Amino acid sequence: MSEERVETTAAAVVLALALAFASASPAAGAQALCEKSQIRLVNSMREIAQPYHANLSKGGRMFARWAGLEGQYVLQLNQGDSDKQIALMRSILATNPKCTVFNVEPNADVVVKPMVDTANQTGAWIVTHWAHNRGMHPFDGYDHWIAHVAVNSEEVGIAVSEQLVAAMGGKGGLVALQGRLDTDPAQKRFAGLKSVVARHPGITLLAQQPANWDRTVAFPTIQAWLAKYGDRIKGIWAANDDMALGALEALRAAGLAGRIPIVGVDGIPEAIAAIARGEMTATVSSDAFYQGSIGLAMGVCVLTGQVPPPQTWAKQQREYYLRTTVITKENASRYATEPTVEGYVDEWRCDKLWSRASGPAY
Amino acid sequence: MALRQAVESRFRAGILSMVRRTSGPLLALFALTIGFAVAESQFATLANLRNILDSSAVPLVLSIGMTFVIRQGSIDLSIEGLMAACSLVFALVVANDRMQFDLGWLGLPIAAALGAVFGLANGLIVTRLRVPSFMATLGIGSTCLGIAMLLSGDQPPLIRDPALRHWGLGQSFGVPNLALAAAACLAAGFFVEQFTRLGRYSYVVGGAESVARLSGLNVDLYKVGVFAFAGLMTGMAAAMESARLGIGHVEIGAGQMLGAITAVVIGGTSLSGGSGSVLGSAIAVLALAVLADGMVFVGATPYMEKAIQGGIVLVAAIVAGWQVHDRLRVVK
Repeated sequence: MSEERVETTAAAVVLALALAFASASPAAGAQALCEKSQIRLVNSMREIAQPYHANLSKGGRMFARWAGLEGQYVLQLNQGDSDKQIALMRSILATNPKCTVFNVEPNADVVVKPMVDTANQTGAWIVTHWAHNRGMHPFDGYDHWIAHVAVNSEEVGIAVSEQLVAAMGGKGGLVALQGRLDTDPAQKRFAGLKSVVARHPGITLLAQQPANWDRTVAFPTIQAWLAKYGDRIKGIWAANDDMALGALEALRAAGLAGRIPIVGVDGIPEAIAAIARGEMTATVSSDAFYQGSIGLAMGVCVLTGQVPPPQTWAKQQREYYLRTTVITKENASRYATEPTVEGYVDEWRCDKLWSRASGPAY
Repeated sequence: MALRQAVESRFRAGILSMVRRTSGPLLALFALTIGFAVAESQFATLANLRNILDSSAVPLVLSIGMTFVIRQGSIDLSIEGLMAACSLVFALVVANDRMQFDLGWLGLPIAAALGAVFGLANGLIVTRLRVPSFMATLGIGSTCLGIAMLLSGDQPPLIRDPALRHWGLGQSFGVPNLALAAAACLAAGFFVEQFTRLGRYSYVVGGAESVARLSGLNVDLYKVGVFAFAGLMTGMAAAMESARLGIGHVEIGAGQMLGAITAVVIGGTSLSGGSGSVLGSAIAVLALAVLADGMVFVGATPYMEKAIQGGIVLVAAIVAGWQVHDRLRVVK
């Protein structure tokens, strides 16, 4: 098997249901809500200095170009400031709100509510990613919140941890670098690790520390652990690739690069290259190019009337988990180069918007 | 002969006052080291000592420049932005995966010089345009961050120069190379501080700027010089951290500014200017590095480390101000 996908049987069933529903919808029957020339596409995200975020924007721009809307593509960067993310949205909606589509990587879970409220009030359209506060759903009266494309971070954590445990031969001590503890992916990825460790009695979690998603913090932390535990460390788990790469450099300084398995999450190009070289074991990708474009594709399909209004969609089409991909040495070469538009056009088509859904997320 | 005597007496006086002022951070350094060594047997090993020296290197170089700036009564909030810009430029001019340059070791002076240029800009804005250093450096820092993001584009440049990578990660004579570089910077900082006009006058400017002006000192010139010197150190620190991590990164300086200010204050430099030495700051950097490393050893979270670091700053500030406090009470 060259590629493993994080998927459950239940997810497959729901996917089938969703596809059945989609094909049953009167795709051509809905009315266009906007002239194509009026449509505006907004990608709202943290920044573009990190490869993950850069790829989000590249994906969005790639879609806009393919849809003939590149001139109407807007990138909003909040630099990690949640208030700014909301304020940027409100300011652009001063004009032409009803034909504006937002594809949102929320800076924090809490910005989702004010952003979807703004969309509902102004008539703009919004698709959100990752995670939002508990107890709210697009299908609970948020007619302009087209969909929430969640990532099942616990399954991601499990998938990558299993790769690590396998590379360790099922025994030995490991150390874990966590993300910022106040974020949903950090908590759930680590919960995934803990459940895998619990299933393998030969594995012990020697130590864990948050390193703030940051390789400059990961580096000295790993150095200190190497001094404390020495060769008892048989594996390193990191909640993202940036920290995993910081850990890799700390190993390199100790002459251990490639001799202790490391896993991360995100699938950034540098990590994929490290996997291909054998210096990292695995990472999990949610495909930033897809996340940066799918919300815009949904919006265009809604605004041009190629799909019916979102309030008529099934629940599992409005809030679902995204299928993720485990990248290991076997399949790293396939992800080594930047994807092209051909890889996505089939999934942007209005009858294929849910082709990466892997189950309901509510 | 007279010159030598003058140098010797100044040196002796300097050493004496320094011992007095650095006794606080020295005490903290010993207490933390002994405390962690008792708590964890693996803490007091040669390997871990190397870790502590290695992780002190970059903060130490930053604290040297910051000591000069704070001593003259200014503040430099541009460190993180400057480090980002210098890190990107350094990574892009040495062998890397994005551009064709391969300047090798020349990258180090280039990064340092770029830092000095930005520092110069800080100084000119403060002295010529009369913008408080707080705002001026914040502005320059933010500008640098923007430049760094532009340079970073969508893929941070990876450093491919094996010699520089080896310098950043390796050791010589059992000591991490970066710690040796930091020691050299400290020696340079100490020399400038004790034996040059720039250093001596920075005490005067910080202690009584108006008096310095009245006595005909070209205050602005020395102020600009100090900002440029601090920028030089920041550029150097950025190059060191980039060589270590193998990447030019926008967030390479994240958290470094507060660390540098903390070290300078703990090290006995008054925030109102006029006193302090790079040696005190260096000892404080070591104490903070022992704290950070020790907290990982005992398994406390970095959030706890931040809280304890904050506590140490408060204690240092209270101890430093105690004499003044006493005097004020008498006057009242």
